[in-house]
Amino acid sequence: MAGKPVRPANAIDQTRRMLSLVTYLRERPGARIEDVARAFGITEDELVSDLDVLPMCGTSFRGGDLLDIDTDGERIWWHNPAALGAEAAEPLRLAADEATALLVAARAVATLPGLREGDRQALLRATAKVETAAGEAAGASARLSVTFESEGGVFADVDRAISERRRLWIRYYSPARDELTEREIDPIRLVSVGHTYVEAWCRRSEARRTFRLDRVAEIRILDEPSAPPEIELRDLSEALVQPAAEDPEVVIEVGPGGRWVAEYYPHDSADELADGGLRITLRTPEPASLRRLALRLGRDGRIVSPPDLADSARRAAREALAAYDGIEAEQGASGGGRPDTRIDGREQGL
Amino acid sequence: MAIAKAERLMNLALCLLGTRRPLSKRELRESIEAYLEAGSDDSFNRMFERDKDDLRELGLVIETVESLDGEIGYLARRDSNSLPPITLDAEEAAALGLAAKVWQQARLAGAASGALQKLRAAGLPEDVDPYEAHGALEPRIPVHEAAFEPLMLACRDRRPVVFDYRKANAAHPEPRHVEPWALECWRGHWYLAGFDRDRGAERVFRLSRITGKVRSRGTSFTAAVPDVVTVRETVASWAGETADRSALIRLRAGAGYPLRAKAAAVRELGDGWDELEIPYGHGLDAWLVEFGPDVVVLEPAELRADVMDRLRAVAKG
Repeated sequence: MAGKPVRPANAIDQTRRMLSLVTYLRERPGARIEDVARAFGITEDELVSDLDVLPMCGTSFRGGDLLDIDTDGERIWWHNPAALGAEAAEPLRLAADEATALLVAARAVATLPGLREGDRQALLRATAKVETAAGEAAGASARLSVTFESEGGVFADVDRAISERRRLWIRYYSPARDELTEREIDPIRLVSVGHTYVEAWCRRSEARRTFRLDRVAEIRILDEPSAPPEIELRDLSEALVQPAAEDPEVVIEVGPGGRWVAEYYPHDSADELADGGLRITLRTPEPASLRRLALRLGRDGRIVSPPDLADSARRAAREALAAYDGIEAEQGASGGGRPDTRIDGREQGL
Repeated sequence: MAIAKAERLMNLALCLLGTRRPLSKRELRESIEAYLEAGSDDSFNRMFERDKDDLRELGLVIETVESLDGEIGYLARRDSNSLPPITLDAEEAAALGLAAKVWQQARLAGAASGALQKLRAAGLPEDVDPYEAHGALEPRIPVHEAAFEPLMLACRDRRPVVFDYRKANAAHPEPRHVEPWALECWRGHWYLAGFDRDRGAERVFRLSRITGKVRSRGTSFTAAVPDVVTVRETVASWAGETADRSALIRLRAGAGYPLRAKAAAVRELGDGWDELEIPYGHGLDAWLVEFGPDVVVLEPAELRADVMDRLRAVAKG
C-alpha cells in the first residue's frame, strides 16, 4: 500500500540480502517466489535478479560446488543444499548500521502517541530483544534519535475512524485565513513527516485534502460510514503541499535574517542577493496567506510582487499600529526603538 | 562482461564463512572467478581490500591471521558471525516490520531492510502484513539534508568533521570544526549536537544550514562525550518554547485560534475584543505581528515596543 522508497540497486544491499536468502531458502525447499519476495520486502523482479546471481556463487567456482539454485518462475528449488556448509548458512549477526537503522526507527515509532497500546507493547518487547541480540552493534544507535510530533487525542480518534471506516467532523484552523472552519471528512490514512497529517476526502470541498493534526481544534467521530472515492495514493514523502503550475506567482526578497523562508516554503527559485539575502519565487493557491509571512518578516524581508499583496501587508501594519495610539496614551509608555541585544531571524515552529 | 560486484562480494563472503582455516589471498584469488579476471596483482589487491571493507560494513567479522611461515590468512568465524538466538512472536514481528519501513534515507532504509531480512532468515514470523496490523499509520522519517549521511558515519565512528555553516542571521557561511556527538530529528528537521573546537563548547547545528561538503578529520575527539546529549531542549529554546514570563494581549473575537490554544487565561471584553494572557518566550513578537490588526500588545512594554518596531518596518515597505 505504501510507496517503497525508490533507491538504485546497490551491491552492498544485494549482497546482504543474498546472504540472508541462502539461509532462508535452505530451510524452505520449493518456497514460492511471491512469498519469499514478501518476506524480504522486495519486488519479485528483485528476487529473480538475486536468483540469477546465486548460481554463480559458492565456496569455489571450480569444484562443482556452486549453489545449484533455480526457479520455474513460481517456486525456488535448491538442488545441492550441502554445497553450503552449516557454518556458512547460519543467520548472521546484525551490523552496526543495521541495528541503528532498525532500533532508532522502532524507538521513534514507539513514541507516536496514536499507536495502539498493544502495538506499542509489542514494539517495545521486540526492541529489547533486538538490542540484546545485536549486542555491541546496538551501541551506536544512541547517537541518532527521532521524535514524531502528533496530537495524541486527535490521532487516536482519526486512527479509530479509519479502522472502523467512519466519517469525522472536525473544526480545523487555517493559518492562511486565520479562521476555524467546520468540515466533514472521510479519512484515508495518517502520515507522519515531521508533523502528523491525516489525508482525507473533504466533503465540503469535494476534494482530497491533508490536515495537520495540531491544527485540528475539535474532532468527533460520526455514525455515518466513511466513503472516500477510490483515489490513487500519492507518495507524500517529498512535500505534502505541492503547488500547482497554475497557482499565482509571488516574489519575496529577504535579507540574511529571512533566509529561513527558503527552508520552510517550497519554492521555484531562490537567488542570492548582494547583501547576503535571497530573492525567492514561489507559487501558492492562496497568495493572501503570504501576508502573514510579510508581517512576520518585518525588516528582514518584503513582498516584491504582486503589488496588491505588498500593499495589503503595508495596510495591515499601518492599521495595527493605529490601534496603539490609544494604548500608548493610556499607559503613558513610549514605543521606543528596538533593543540592540535582540537576536533576529530565528524561525519558530511554523 | 565484467562480473557484477554483488556476485564477487557474495563469493568472498561464502568462502570466508565456509572455511575452518584461514585462507590466504592466493587461495581466495584462485577460488573466486572475478579475482582471476581482475588482471594485475595491483588491481586485484585494491579490489580485495575494498571488498573486505564492504563486507565488514554489512556486519561480517573477518579475522586476519598470520601463519607460522608469515603468510596472512583470512576467515569469518562462525561464533563471531552468527546471530544469537532470538524469538519474536507475530505481533512483535509486525511491529518491527512497520519500523523497518520508516526511513526515507537510502543507506538507513537499506540497513533496516537488511536487519529485518537477517531476522527473517533466523525465523521471524512473516504472516502478518504490518500495514494490515497497524491500520492506516504511515510514519516516515524524512532526510532531505545532504550532510546527514557523512555526519551519521562521523557520529558512529567518533570522527571530527569540518563543514561550512551559515547561521540563521548570517549572510555568509563560515567553517566550523566539530566533534559530532549525536543527530536528532525534531519536527521534521535534523540537528547535530557536538563539541565546537573553535568555540570550545557544545553547540547545536541545523543540518539544512550546512553548505557544501562535510569533510572528516583523521584525528580523534579531544573533549569528553557527555552521557546524555540534549538536542531538543536547545532547539526548543530557539523556538521560544521555554517561556518563563507571560504577556497580556488584546485579540479580536474569533481570530487567532492558536494564540487562544496557548493562552493561560481568556477574558471577553465585550466590544468585539478579548484579553488573553499568553506565555512570552523568544520569538513571540514575530508571531504576534503575523496577526496584524487583530492583535494589540498590552504588556510588557518591551514586547509592545518590539511588535511596534516590526510593524513600522512593514508599514514603510
